[in-house]
Amino acid sequence: MKEKKEKIDLILQRNAAEQLAKVDWKELNTVISSRLDDAGRGKTSTIRFPTIFKIAAGVAAAAAVVFILVMLKSHTPTGVQFETSGGAVVKFIESKGSASIEIEHASAKSVVMVDVEGSQRKVARCDIEMIDSNGDLKKESQGAAWIIISRPEPLYADNGVSSDITDMIYLF
Amino acid sequence: MNGNLKANTGDVERLVKASQTGNRAAFDELVRLYQRRAMQVAVRMLGNADKAAESVQTGFVKAYLSIDKLKEPKRFEGWLLRIIANAAVSRARVAKHRTEKIKIADHFEDKKILSPMERQSAEELKEAVERAMLKLSKKEAKAIALFGLEDLSHREVAEIMGCSVEAARWYVFRARQKLKGLLKDYL
Repeated sequence: MKEKKEKIDLILQRNAAEQLAKVDWKELNTVISSRLDDAGRGKTSTIRFPTIFKIAAGVAAAAAVVFILVMLKSHTPTGVQFETSGGAVVKFIESKGSASIEIEHASAKSVVMVDVEGSQRKVARCDIEMIDSNGDLKKESQGAAWIIISRPEPLYADNGVSSDITDMIYLF
Repeated sequence: MNGNLKANTGDVERLVKASQTGNRAAFDELVRLYQRRAMQVAVRMLGNADKAAESVQTGFVKAYLSIDKLKEPKRFEGWLLRIIANAAVSRARVAKHRTEKIKIADHFEDKKILSPMERQSAEELKEAVERAMLKLSKKEAKAIALFGLEDLSHREVAEIMGCSVEAARWYVFRARQKLKGLLKDYL
């Protein structure tokens, strides 16, 4: 048993010796030195990182605020078209997406379908009120028209996100 | 020759203290003194000089970045070898799937003149040892590698491994048992 153990040790020893004989120590030393240089630089940049990060974060935050404001402005409808033959279609001018409103009774319970950018279709039953900024409701009017749709608790929604619909329609 | 086997303890302490104050030249000297020692451990753990060199590089970088945490400079060698052994363990985990980026042992022909048969035999043994070492547990691999260093006492090995001498011996025994089966063609 002991002899076998020694043989194992000798095998490992032989392999280690053969492997170590191949090593270029100067090259190894150079590579280690180079990696230490990199690590040293990393150490320095870590120390500087908080200040740089703060500045970068501030710039990014400011850019994000500007971007959001621009996006909000570009998505704000400047006009609304009405088709009131039993229903109404709200089309956003200078904005993507549309909302179609099927009116049962004006200023009463109505079914509201919203299709924003073609990707979401949501249905909810809401109270609607149409207000023309000029005081009278005009068919096919454009520009100065507003819709206020309000309903705190939707009667139904097809995908369980009706409260989002209510919020979204307020924006219209 | 680069990498003395045993460095003067007083010099090492001085170099460690200087390194802790940010003296890079002092740490470079420690690298020069201990790179052979570190390679001995890593080669014994991994069975392959190129992979060992990678783990030694990683180990020295880790040591450099954390040398200020070493409270007893006189224990530098044990502390360093522990880092090297851990780096070798980490290297072993990715050994199978990683391509070699840096070849430290490419100068086979330049360093040692071997016949084609001897070279083939050496290559086969390297691959066999490499495969066998991957079959050991981390502690078994560390124990057999550190016990193989002739001038390292059992107590020092146990200290580096962070276990009792008896436990370290047990890991060596287990490693030998496994290796006997795995390398039986070479016995």
